[in-house]
Amino acid sequence: MDYFKKYVLVIVAAVGIFLSLIFYLVNIPKSREANFIERTALSVLTPAMMPVQKTSLYFRGAWDEYINLVNVRRENTKLQDKIKELNNEILAGKETQQANVRLAKLLEMKGSIKATTLTATVIGEDVSSWFSTIIIDRGSSSGLKEGMAVVAAEGVVGQIVKVSSSSSRVLLLTDHASGIAATIQRSRARGVVKGKGEGLCSLEFTTREEDVKVGDIVITSGIGGIFMKGLPIGEVTMVRRGEYGIFQTVTIRPAVNSSHLEEVLVVLRGGYE
Amino acid sequence: MSRSSFLIFVAAVFVSILMQTTFLTVFLTSPFKPDLLLVILVFIALRSSYEVGTPAAWMLGLLKDVFGGLYLGLNGFTFLIIFLIIKGMADRLYAESCFLFVFAVMGATLACVSGNLLLLVFTNTPGIAYSIGNNLIPHLLANAFAASLVALIPGFTEDEDLA
Repeated sequence: MDYFKKYVLVIVAAVGIFLSLIFYLVNIPKSREANFIERTALSVLTPAMMPVQKTSLYFRGAWDEYINLVNVRRENTKLQDKIKELNNEILAGKETQQANVRLAKLLEMKGSIKATTLTATVIGEDVSSWFSTIIIDRGSSSGLKEGMAVVAAEGVVGQIVKVSSSSSRVLLLTDHASGIAATIQRSRARGVVKGKGEGLCSLEFTTREEDVKVGDIVITSGIGGIFMKGLPIGEVTMVRRGEYGIFQTVTIRPAVNSSHLEEVLVVLRGGYE
Repeated sequence: MSRSSFLIFVAAVFVSILMQTTFLTVFLTSPFKPDLLLVILVFIALRSSYEVGTPAAWMLGLLKDVFGGLYLGLNGFTFLIIFLIIKGMADRLYAESCFLFVFAVMGATLACVSGNLLLLVFTNTPGIAYSIGNNLIPHLLANAFAASLVALIPGFTEDEDLA
């Protein structure tokens, strides 16, 4: 009895292994059909399997999504950087395109001026609020002198008033101190275009009898020798003839919008010595 | 004036001119462009001595004339007068007050405009009075706003050594 007790574990294990082998061998021919044990186990466990499976799937999905989100975040950052890069390229492209259009117009104007011209870039504006001047990046080292005319693709910009070695100040057409001899293109009526401030000019010393109408184009008359004849100054926007007085009041909108000016042409002719 | 104060002054003037000629002009229309040199002038008038402030005020005005307008000396004269007026009163006031600074800048703006108008009598620019009058209120407000921003700079209320 003691012997049996001593080896019971081994005996039970051996019998178990043997029985399981027998069970396996018996079931080999019925491998394609469920037996009672299989059916019972399936029936009992299947209802519990579904929610567990769903929960597992949920957690797996959550995990995958989390991992994916980490990747998506990285990818998103990368894509955003790429978008910024592409946007910058698009902006640079548009800027180049616009500069090209502006320079082409300027070149056209340069061709129409029968004098040597020099291209300059606008680098600054007047520090005060009631004077209209701009600063350009060319000075006496480029041959500029006070009194030289400055034009843009659309027409007259103004006149150089202060020159340093590498920059100059240009008195705009719209400044109160500016005055340019002008002619109405259609009727050839003469006058002096003076700045009114706030981006407008007036045609002065034009007698009441002269034919001036709204929409008329005002050009330089060439009198005075600073501006060449025929350069566009602006368009007449208002004509008023009072009951009394010798002259009529004519308001002009300049052809050049000085607040959007980027490149100008300096006519290298004349100037004060 | 100590060396560091001098360097800060020069840097402030340099930055102000650059801001007014290039940076601010891109974003602000002319009447809303603050006169930063005038703000610096008022600061000097409230904080510095006569010996340092008088030539500095005149130089600031000249710098303004170099980068604006046509008449060199117009603002030089105006700035000098404004400096002397504010300086004459500053000793009797609490010069470190932010409110005083903003009001002094507004007063200085009006004085500058008046001075410019009086001096421009000598030039042939009759229409400028209209432009100045038209732009005065936005310019005044822009200067006051700029002054209030300056007053927010840390250390503004401390009595710095500008003498």
